[in-house]
Amino acid sequence: MAANMRGLTQFIADIRGARVRELEEKRINKEMANIRKKFKDGNLDGYQKKKYVAKIIFTYILGYKVDVGHMEAVNLISSSKYSEKQIGYLAVTLLMHENSDFLRLVVNSIRKDLDENNEVSNCLALHAIANVGSSEMAEALSEDVHRLLISPTSQTFVKKKAALTLLRLYRKHPTVIPAAEWALRLVSIMDDQDLGVVICVTSLIMALAQDHLDAYAVCYTKAVDRLHRLVIEGEYSATYAYYKVPSPWLQVKLLRLLQYYPPSEDATLRSVLHEVLQTIMNNSAEPSRNVQHNNAQHAVLFEAISLAIHLDTSSPLVGTSAILLARFISSKETNVRYLGLDTMAHLAARADSLEPLKKHQGTIILSLRDKDISVRRRALDLLYSMCDTDNSELIVGELLRYLKVADYALREEMVLKIAILTEKYANSYKWYVDTILQLISAAGDHVGDEVWYRVVQIVTNTEDLQEYAAKVVFEHLKSPSTHESLVKVGGYILGEYGHLIANDTGYSPLEQFQVLHSKSQFCVASTRSLLLSTYIKWVNVFPEIKPQLINIFERYRHVLDAELQQRACEFYSLASRPDDDEVLQNVCEEMPPFPPRVSALIGRLNRKLGDTEDKRTWIHGGKEMNLERHGNSRKATLGPGSSATGTATVTDTADAQDVMSSLAGLNLSSSGDQLDLSRVDVVAPRVAVGPSVEKWFNKLTCSAEGLLYEDVQIQIGIKSKYQGHLGQLAIYLGNKISVPLTSFTSTIHVNDSEALSATFAKIPPNTLVPRTQSQQLLHVECKKVFSSFPILTVSFLAGAHQSISIRLPISVTKFIEGVKLGQADFFERWKVIGGPPREAQAVFPIPLDGTGQLDLVRYRQVVSGNHLEILEDVDPNPSNLVAAGVLHTSVDGKVGCLLRLEPNREAKLCRLTVRSTSEDVAMEVLRLIEKLLRSDCS
Amino acid sequence: MISAFFIFNQKGEVLISRLYRTDFKRSIADVFRIQVVSNSDVRSPIITLGSTSFFHVRVNNLYIVCVTKTNANAALVFEFCYRFISIAKSYFGKVDEESVKNNFVLIYELIDEISDYGYPQNSEIDTLKSYITTESVISSAIAAEESSKITTQATGATSWRRGDVKYKKNEAFVDVVETVNLSMSAKGTVLRADVDGHIQMRAYLSGTPECKFGLNDKLVIDKNSQGGASDAVELDDCRFHQCVRLNEFDTSRTISFIPPDGEFELMRYRSTSNVKLPLRVIPTVNEIGTTQVSYNIAVKANFGTKLSATNVVLRIPTPLNTTGVDCKVANGKAKYVPAENVVVWKIPRIQGGQECTFNATAGLTSTTTRQVWARPPIDVDFEVLMLTASGLIVRFLKVFEKSNYHSIKWVRYLTKASGSYQIRF
Repeated sequence: MAANMRGLTQFIADIRGARVRELEEKRINKEMANIRKKFKDGNLDGYQKKKYVAKIIFTYILGYKVDVGHMEAVNLISSSKYSEKQIGYLAVTLLMHENSDFLRLVVNSIRKDLDENNEVSNCLALHAIANVGSSEMAEALSEDVHRLLISPTSQTFVKKKAALTLLRLYRKHPTVIPAAEWALRLVSIMDDQDLGVVICVTSLIMALAQDHLDAYAVCYTKAVDRLHRLVIEGEYSATYAYYKVPSPWLQVKLLRLLQYYPPSEDATLRSVLHEVLQTIMNNSAEPSRNVQHNNAQHAVLFEAISLAIHLDTSSPLVGTSAILLARFISSKETNVRYLGLDTMAHLAARADSLEPLKKHQGTIILSLRDKDISVRRRALDLLYSMCDTDNSELIVGELLRYLKVADYALREEMVLKIAILTEKYANSYKWYVDTILQLISAAGDHVGDEVWYRVVQIVTNTEDLQEYAAKVVFEHLKSPSTHESLVKVGGYILGEYGHLIANDTGYSPLEQFQVLHSKSQFCVASTRSLLLSTYIKWVNVFPEIKPQLINIFERYRHVLDAELQQRACEFYSLASRPDDDEVLQNVCEEMPPFPPRVSALIGRLNRKLGDTEDKRTWIHGGKEMNLERHGNSRKATLGPGSSATGTATVTDTADAQDVMSSLAGLNLSSSGDQLDLSRVDVVAPRVAVGPSVEKWFNKLTCSAEGLLYEDVQIQIGIKSKYQGHLGQLAIYLGNKISVPLTSFTSTIHVNDSEALSATFAKIPPNTLVPRTQSQQLLHVECKKVFSSFPILTVSFLAGAHQSISIRLPISVTKFIEGVKLGQADFFERWKVIGGPPREAQAVFPIPLDGTGQLDLVRYRQVVSGNHLEILEDVDPNPSNLVAAGVLHTSVDGKVGCLLRLEPNREAKLCRLTVRSTSEDVAMEVLRLIEKLLRSDCS
Repeated sequence: MISAFFIFNQKGEVLISRLYRTDFKRSIADVFRIQVVSNSDVRSPIITLGSTSFFHVRVNNLYIVCVTKTNANAALVFEFCYRFISIAKSYFGKVDEESVKNNFVLIYELIDEISDYGYPQNSEIDTLKSYITTESVISSAIAAEESSKITTQATGATSWRRGDVKYKKNEAFVDVVETVNLSMSAKGTVLRADVDGHIQMRAYLSGTPECKFGLNDKLVIDKNSQGGASDAVELDDCRFHQCVRLNEFDTSRTISFIPPDGEFELMRYRSTSNVKLPLRVIPTVNEIGTTQVSYNIAVKANFGTKLSATNVVLRIPTPLNTTGVDCKVANGKAKYVPAENVVVWKIPRIQGGQECTFNATAGLTSTTTRQVWARPPIDVDFEVLMLTASGLIVRFLKVFEKSNYHSIKWVRYLTKASGSYQIRF
């Protein structure tokens, strides 16, 4: 191609050779005129079109405006030659704005290329979609891209690109992609043979899962499994090992993905994960000589430590990581120090005990003086997070000392953090006032208004503090250069409480006045007006300096600033009233205490944190802050639709609130309507139905083993065993076809995880070999009474992606153990329990058997299938059934249960009565047995 | 005053760097390069950053830059720049990157001579040439003699002229050169028409001659003081060479002077009223649909039939999406130049009173974004000999000398337009 596009080469050479801009412009004008002429004349062959479009592209990327050639570019896309198609796509992605009308013309050509069974065309089309990323394209083509990604015939290369294209589309237009709908299918690709595809898909899932945590919950198991295979079993091809670390990128992504989810309850997953993290930490214990190897190892290690912290802060793993981190923060390499401090801040933000970190306090404080500013920042964050009542004075003192030499870029943040820490961990109010005043005088320019508002609030609300504060402020004001914020604080505090210290030597009214007034000429109008208010307060309490003050009001009556003038006039007339007038006294009453308010400072600090692509899973600050935040975010993500709306409202309202309303302590991060949004329950997977499914299920509810589901591809059988509140289910999964079922995933969905837990004994294998059966053990534990059946979802790839959800026949009655009781015992208990509400009764029609008789055998089967012991000779009527049992639960303990069944042949009705010490149990047992008896399962 | 003097090339590389004072470092040149040369938005010749002002003049892709920290007289600084350009021109012809590089030693010598500690000094070309030469070194004896003459000349009553000038043939040439600037609206009303004129004199006269110069009878030199008749020639902003006796001019309006030897610019003026436009251009341009533009342009010579305009060049703009232009002309040649998006119509000569026409059709191509054509103005360049657009005429030039010799005087007029004779359509 390059060889025969002589014109293009010449054109580029000419432009490169142009000495001045004018010459270049002339050359381009000439060429463009030529191209216009050629295009107008038409009759161009593909090669010529390609050449001219290439020239146009070159002109465009030099920064010139181009307004021809778009149509030709569109035509080139549908060319059959690769080189022409490529130039066409290049032109489309470069020249066309995402809202360009021409893109409509391209959509069809792109779709054709996506449909084509040609890797190269597919890739070009995917590139174009990702680069342009317009909403129109996203709407029209995201389905096709998705199809390419999931199609078994796609090449790995195409799959990779398709995944990344979807990621790009999702980031730009999150609403276009039905993320929740595609969840299972996308997650199944995480089992792909090719690690490259897995990396790309994991990136996509990371983005999607952040907004659809529950829809993508399946990926948790997959990620753990993948990590296990990668790290422990070493299942990866040699090309994916980077300096002996198996695919560090994938590891990091998986570890990060796991952090988006709350720690799993599943003991198996936990132990596997623990093993993985342990291995990663062991592998990295020895730093290697090779820089790249080190980098890769550290990348994985830091993410692993983060995950360990996320999972459980008290686990021994975290102990190990704390030791590792301590080593890192004193490392020679800046990057390692940075990451060490960052991760340590994560630890400090989540850990219960800060003791392990406090050992390194000295090192961390030294890091504040690191030569790299980003390291300094991280050190600051860490100190902020690890501060508590014990070390607050030390840390704040250190920060204050450092503030004076700190970088300007860092100061504002430091000031805020110091202010928050001082307030939060102040042991004494004196210390608080001292520190804040020191802060204002040291870094006045960087002190936001919120900081001094807060001082005033606290001083006003704390009576013991007022005299002390007035003295300290006065001392600070005496220094020759004071910042305006300090003047404001001084003006307010001396005005309110100056009279408290007026009798001490050195603090006389006149001295107070002179010190304060000497500052006023350097201040802006708003500060001066505050000072005027101070003076009128003084007119009230210090009659001895009244003449001077009136003199000042007099002068200010003529200034140009409207606010100042008005105040001066009003105060002047107020002050010149006769001495015995009460108006002045009433006006200048002491300020009442402020209503208690939440500090606005933290809100201010959090607002400053920018949001990047991948959300942080923690914030700086103590453990409480993280817990609170976690609660909020959980609510937000549970809401319908994407969480983006949830967080948007939070930030919007936070931005909208002005300083005053934030002072009032309105914490808007959890408003009422948001709580309502969060009430929506997670939608359970849709259960497979069919008459035979129902039949198999019913049969299994009263027997220990049998078939649960069967179709042409798969057969699922169950064997179960119960002992007390524990149960064990062996699930047999049989592959009936002659190809392996890949990406095999089985998950258990329990509606009420408080009452029932169900976990697999180990992570199930992800392929099912043809014509074999595999067994998976499921442990169940009954904690409380529950009413819904757990749902088993099995998904696999057999050509297409299939997903089957079936109810598992695990009911409350399975945890009942029969008890033998004599007639007397039975009736005694029956009476003790008494009638409603602890009795549940129902009368319902029952089917008769073929001969028109009561099917007593079946009734017995049903009752004993539900693990109740049938008591003979208790009821005089032989057709009546009486049974008893005890339900074992791990939380609520044992619950007794008595049952009486009275069928009536003539009326074809039967009466079922269940009495239990717990009304829930009675209801539930009644419901279960009634259902079985009603159904005609002959 | 001027603290530093630089010459930059197109790319912002420093060719000449001279610091007259210590208040700048050489790195101040980088500031100019970043703020002006590489910033295409800057069009103003004066940029003030903080307390530093940059004055620049562009000539042939060079930037002549003066930097100052004080509140200097901007007109003086620009005059200094232009003076430098004219000096450089007379020393080595063309001022461009090549010649600056070739003559950098000479340039340093010159800029040291014409400015001392940032204050402009004698910049008379003839005087400079007497002691800054490009020739080989003269022997020391003559050099000593020459230098003593310089001292007497510089300290004498007429610092611009030596006393001992001798010519066999005493001659004086006067050139009145006027540049016409015009901008005419599409409706044919004159938005702006003015004349920049200067009178260039070459005096080859012996001794110390006293010259007297007379212009039109009805000449209004300072418009504000007198009403002025409607047909009078009004001159604004007259500026004279330093040899002209200004007090005499102020009292009796006569221009009397002792000329320097050789070529100099006697006066410079501007005229904004009663400007005679030598060429009338009547354009009719129609956009036919979105695919064609038709042109019909007539040019009429608006002066006596004995005179003629030469080197007439019309630059007729075409839309940016022109594919080709089909031109028909009776006089001269017309050609579409795609590089500049104009049709260039060259007419070698137009006799007074004659009219030429131009007919053309430009074909357009369709574009992605439909933009209205800005219709830039038609630009006309021409020269007319023996005509002054302002109507200024030299009535007499008298030369008085002690020896009372006979002298020959020549007067020439030229009116021209280059680049700013524009007609909108």
